[in-house]
Amino acid sequence: MIKPAVAVRGLTKVFPIPFRRTRVVAVRGLNLEVAPGQVYGLLGPNGSGKSTTLKIILGLVSPSSGSTEIFGRDSREVGSREAVGFLPENPYFYKYLTGAETLRFYGKLCGLSGVRLKSRTGELLELVGLQNARDRRLGGYSKGMLQRIGLAQALIQEPKLVVLDEPTAGVDPAGSRDIRDLILDLKRRGITVLLSSHLLAQVQEICDRVGILANGVLVREGRVEDLLAIENQTELILQNATPEVLNDIAALLKKSSARLIEQRQPQTTLERLFLEATKAPAER
Amino acid sequence: MSKSGHSRFSLTRIAALTGNTFTELVRLKVFYFLLIFALLLIGSSIFMAQLSFQQEFQVLKDVSLGAMSIFTSLLAIVATAQLIPHDVEERTIYTILAKPVPRYEYLAGKLGGVLLLLALSVVAMTALFLIALFVRQEMLVGVTLRQTSGLRPEQVQEAVRTLKASAFNVNLFPGIVVIYLKAALLASLTLFVSTFATSNIFTICVMVFIYFIGHLQAMAREYWLQQNSAGWIAKTFLALVALVFPDLQLFNLVDDIVAGTAIPGPLFAQTAVLGCVYISVYFFFAWVVFHGKEL
Repeated sequence: MIKPAVAVRGLTKVFPIPFRRTRVVAVRGLNLEVAPGQVYGLLGPNGSGKSTTLKIILGLVSPSSGSTEIFGRDSREVGSREAVGFLPENPYFYKYLTGAETLRFYGKLCGLSGVRLKSRTGELLELVGLQNARDRRLGGYSKGMLQRIGLAQALIQEPKLVVLDEPTAGVDPAGSRDIRDLILDLKRRGITVLLSSHLLAQVQEICDRVGILANGVLVREGRVEDLLAIENQTELILQNATPEVLNDIAALLKKSSARLIEQRQPQTTLERLFLEATKAPAER
Repeated sequence: MSKSGHSRFSLTRIAALTGNTFTELVRLKVFYFLLIFALLLIGSSIFMAQLSFQQEFQVLKDVSLGAMSIFTSLLAIVATAQLIPHDVEERTIYTILAKPVPRYEYLAGKLGGVLLLLALSVVAMTALFLIALFVRQEMLVGVTLRQTSGLRPEQVQEAVRTLKASAFNVNLFPGIVVIYLKAALLASLTLFVSTFATSNIFTICVMVFIYFIGHLQAMAREYWLQQNSAGWIAKTFLALVALVFPDLQLFNLVDDIVAGTAIPGPLFAQTAVLGCVYISVYFFFAWVVFHGKEL
């Protein structure tokens, strides 16, 4: 039997508030599984328990009850993190290190050295498009570049699972698209991705499965298509349909019990429009 | 090695963290205090122009070793206090501990970086001090040779030998090692305090308080215990203070060195062992707190 990449069972996390004799329940009885190779989106408003759940999975915070596993290993074991790469929300790395030095530092923490570390550093800088900034200090990096170097450090030891906390927070649409493309590339390479995000359109586009948290409780969970499908409606998108064809369809509908709810021209997304408009003339 | 091949202890990981911490501290320009140290040496040399050569060397050693002790202690506290809070505030700690890095290795790397910085600072200050001592000695040898030009060669040689003996003394080195150990002890204790402190300002305040108690407690203990009226409450209190706060007076051998007294081997060994024990115990306490800390 294939072990899930992430298994969360009966997870509850309570934070006591000192001096007030009260406590906050951040996560309550959470159960979820992420299959290997899947892109899983954890959604929810601020304070819903997303980041706490991710931190527990990474062993940064201990659960009040329940358990979390990474590829079958208790995530409190340091060794379980060999298979994991993590990018926190709004990461700030050591500003005095260059892009290449940052990757070498994280690579050494993962046991890489010598030629392997050097080649892996080069590969990742190319993957995230920072070859030209490899010798520039991170203090001079833009928000989008920091996010990309963050993603590169998360991938340094070729992890089987990548955990991303708000990977596109504060990044402009072009940078956001780059990160989305990188996530899709990871998926193509069979790497499991667990991410939390506020950008619902992007999550819908890249995730296979989502879980929605509200007040620490998982209120919805399942495949994106299943959750979004309106069962008693069907969508037809026609290309080059003449008015006669549309009239024929309308006539056909009149003869049946089906009802035409809406007829309109499909629209592009604001993101695509923005990217098209801001693209350099040579790229168009 | 665990079943997955992950090593529970890796010197490579600690070395990576140590190197990074050292770079971090160097980039914070903490070495500026070396400039103040050099200025102090120059200033004290100007002041010494009116003294006899024995007094002059004594003042130079007193000022230099005293400044070395204060600067390394301050550096140890200030540099260590900001390491963990800075990593937590900037969230870099998440990216490090989300890698297969045990928390004790993270702490060891941080402490290692500070100890490396302290070692280099002590070496630099010692070099400056020895250069100042040598330059002053050569100047005085010139003066002595001029003043004794009418005397017999044996008498001149004797005068120069006496002068050189008051300048450089091999006992300086064990004294400097003890200064380093004291700073390392303070760094380890600061690391412990910073694992539960809410800010680096709080850590620095607590450490300054501990620094003074550490220096004064021996005096207080002696005074109270000599009083016949010291009851069991006072004795218990003093024992508790001695247990919680390090007795920093034990690491204060500067007066002996300046007076030219040789530090006995057993005393040096005892002080060195005590320093290492303090460092290990505070590091262990730091790990106990940090191990279960929620980040």
